[in-house]
Amino acid sequence: MIYYLQLILNGIIAGSIYALFAVGLTMVYGVFRFINFAHGELIAWGAYLALLFTQTLFSLPIYYAVLPALALTIAIGLAQERYVYRPLRHGNRISLLIASIGLSYLLRNAIRIIWGSDLMTYGLKPTRGFAFAGLSITGTQISMMAAAVLFLGGLYFLFTRTMLGKSLRAVADNMELAVIMGINMKRVSLTVWSLASVFAGVGGILLALDTNLEPLMGLTNMIKAFAAMLLGGAGNVWGALLGGLFIGIAENVGVAFVSPGYKDFISFVIIIVVLLFRPKGLFGILGGVR
Amino acid sequence: MDYLLHILIIALIYSIFAISLNLELGYTGLYNFGHVAFFGIGAYTSALLSLAGLPVAVSMVCGMAVAGGAGAVLAIPALRLSGDYFGIATLVFAEMARLFFLNERWLTKGPMGLPGIPRPGWIGGGVAALPMFLAFCTLLTIAAFLIIRRLTTAPFGRALKVVREDEYVAQALGKNVLTLKIKAITVGSVLAGLAGGLWAHYITYISPGDFTLTETILVLLCVVLGGRGTNWGPVLGAFVITFFGESVRFLPIPMDFGHFVAPLQGMVYGGVLILIMLKRPEGLLPEYKG
Amino acid sequence: MKKFIIILAGICFLLSGVLTTTGAAEVVVGAVTPLTGKLAVYGQGFQQAMLLALDEVNASGGINGKPMKILFEDNTSTSKGSVSAIQKLITINKFPVIFGPAASSNFLAVCPIAQQNKTILIGAESAADAISKCGSYVFRVFPSDLLQGKGVAELIKYLGYKELLLTYVNNDWGVGLADVFKEQFLKDGGRLLDEFAYDEGKTDYRSEILRIKKASPKAVVNLTYIKEGATMLKQAYEISLNVQWIMGSAAKSPKLVELAGQAAEGIIGTYPTFSQDTPQYKVYKEAWEKKYPGKKTPIFGEYNYDMVKLTAKALCDAKSMSVDDIRSALINASKGFIGATGDKTFDANGDVGATYGRWTVKGGNIEDYK
Repeated sequence: MIYYLQLILNGIIAGSIYALFAVGLTMVYGVFRFINFAHGELIAWGAYLALLFTQTLFSLPIYYAVLPALALTIAIGLAQERYVYRPLRHGNRISLLIASIGLSYLLRNAIRIIWGSDLMTYGLKPTRGFAFAGLSITGTQISMMAAAVLFLGGLYFLFTRTMLGKSLRAVADNMELAVIMGINMKRVSLTVWSLASVFAGVGGILLALDTNLEPLMGLTNMIKAFAAMLLGGAGNVWGALLGGLFIGIAENVGVAFVSPGYKDFISFVIIIVVLLFRPKGLFGILGGVR
Repeated sequence: MDYLLHILIIALIYSIFAISLNLELGYTGLYNFGHVAFFGIGAYTSALLSLAGLPVAVSMVCGMAVAGGAGAVLAIPALRLSGDYFGIATLVFAEMARLFFLNERWLTKGPMGLPGIPRPGWIGGGVAALPMFLAFCTLLTIAAFLIIRRLTTAPFGRALKVVREDEYVAQALGKNVLTLKIKAITVGSVLAGLAGGLWAHYITYISPGDFTLTETILVLLCVVLGGRGTNWGPVLGAFVITFFGESVRFLPIPMDFGHFVAPLQGMVYGGVLILIMLKRPEGLLPEYKG
Repeated sequence: MKKFIIILAGICFLLSGVLTTTGAAEVVVGAVTPLTGKLAVYGQGFQQAMLLALDEVNASGGINGKPMKILFEDNTSTSKGSVSAIQKLITINKFPVIFGPAASSNFLAVCPIAQQNKTILIGAESAADAISKCGSYVFRVFPSDLLQGKGVAELIKYLGYKELLLTYVNNDWGVGLADVFKEQFLKDGGRLLDEFAYDEGKTDYRSEILRIKKASPKAVVNLTYIKEGATMLKQAYEISLNVQWIMGSAAKSPKLVELAGQAAEGIIGTYPTFSQDTPQYKVYKEAWEKKYPGKKTPIFGEYNYDMVKLTAKALCDAKSMSVDDIRSALINASKGFIGATGDKTFDANGDVGATYGRWTVKGGNIEDYK
């Protein structure tokens, strides 16, 4: 019994990170109506940039290294928009998708050139987790959940209480109309990409703290983020959150029944099943950045 | 000289692979990002059957049949999805196929791969057999090319193009869009299976690591670079990409930088995809809009 | 456009011919090495060790007066790359001897090609059992896993564990070694509480760790690599999973201890040993320190070194540069050849023997286990 509870706990922890990734992905979809294949690379770059700042040149302790890392991640996100996506936005759909796949491949290989293809770590000592009621959780994992709560709470505040947030929701609803109504598209675009980048980057750093860094971390997590986004209904932020948690739990509990080699398979199956039977998502009702 | 034969064979195999993808992507407008799955299914089926003792020709035909069958089976549910979602679904399917090859060790010997796959009996092994194999490949490539050309110049091909441009118009014209798409995918998968079988019998060794996202990117690049919607386009693309990939081997790179080569190539591929989309989306050989 | 491409390709080939033409005054051997890709980190070490041996060979007169050279071809750590590389070495360069790629699956992919083309293929790192059946032109200076699997089973018998959990990396090396171990262990009357493979290169093994915890074993045989092993150890430490870890040779590295820290204490493992007290080993060690001061000797470096030196000896002894002559010279040269890694006499399958020692981690250091 304890075994399953621990699995569920692990699932919630993993799920909170997936939620962060999914939220970023779904926001971009909600506003711009396309799936950013290169979203995963924002995750990876966030983590690797943090590594950079903790190493030789800067030697900042990890918690300070986060800030410049996130700043640069935002820069990458904005560059993606400015140089690749904006020019292609009004053209052929397939061009956008292919460019986005190409961009993800480019960024992924850039990581391999700079940091190599090996696994890397932030070099923290292994610590014993806290044990309670037969379950175990580490300090890092608690921070992961706390960070997820914090950021998502902040997002809620942004959406409901600020003008900027409301503009975002308006644009997601109907871009042309919003622009006609005088909403500053540039600001909205800037905000969406910054938020998506920050969420991805923070999630990436937390994930790397908990485990390790490797060049493919962006791709595998992007597929899971996508699964979560689908579950929640594309464009639905709170749906993505629930979707992320669901994927995390499903993955971790699923391993009890299938071979661990098929762990990623679980999220794939979820994607296929959802796409076939409820493409609008399980948790969302309608689309939109709500 | 012999090495040139080797590269030509690889280029021809990729030509068949690219032509088959082009039928789906270029002509019908289906974003099949999982085409490598059928390449792999064709390869594994043919390899396993010939290792079990069946003559190579029979195994290859079976490989094509199984690949085509898999394509049809995937197509029926997947075609309920539109554009982006279809792309992701096919991508995920390719990853699922790869995980299957990796984990089902009793069938595919998993990561250890299948060595010693026989060459067709009348060709034999060794270096001396290369010209024969090249002739074999050339014949098959020409056959595939002619089949596709026949299909695309026939009303079938024009109907596919209409589907690509505007599905509603196609329906209004009385075309059964779904059937057309399924046919396109099935033919595409059969030919991908052919390419896969040729690959297996040429290299004489396959493993799950041969059928990853990288191969998807490569074949996508062949189609996109060469020119979608034409028949010579993907062939040209396949030759360019294959020659580029191999010619890098001859650059005198100092030893210390050796490990930059592959990721750098990856970056180039990604970058080229983006540039093509931005600057010349129709590829090197544009479609004749007549 | 097409013409341009073809001309460009043609130029590349002409260039390549010019660049790789070697004079008749040299003896060149090919090498398929992971210079890029996931094994690049080890590949660099292999290359350096081979070059070290090469220097020594040339310093003492080369091959009957002619300098020896090694032409390295990158295999990008993949089987596909290995096949491409060996095709080039065989068809363009026509080398009679080629040093093979590291990973067992890469090696297995190319050995039918070498065998069919009557080219001698020698391996210095590939352990898979299946390689013994590759053919008469295939040799390796690295012992087959058949021996290590038995070594691990013996260690278990010595430690007295009657039941345990078996887990291993899901690849050529792990699966092969696990199969051999399992066969011997079950024959010895042991019982497996659970058994499963896991993917290499993952960052999170918590599900696997939990599955281990569920079976409550006292000992776990974990056939793993450095990174995967370190991650699993750390994550097992977090949930306070206390078991006796038994590992193979691939995890034996200071880097494992560096990555896993406290969590690596107490591991016991096997590895193909060679005494580090022999004069041959000392020669290797000193030469390494002179050429690459400050760098630790790489994993399997000694095997690569031996491979080159043994090949040089065979090339010197060979009656001619024809493949079959070199082959008989190689077999003869290996008889009683004591390299840095011990006796390299080839058996009928082109394999060498090995003794298996035991290692453990104590106080943050890797030591021999008594």
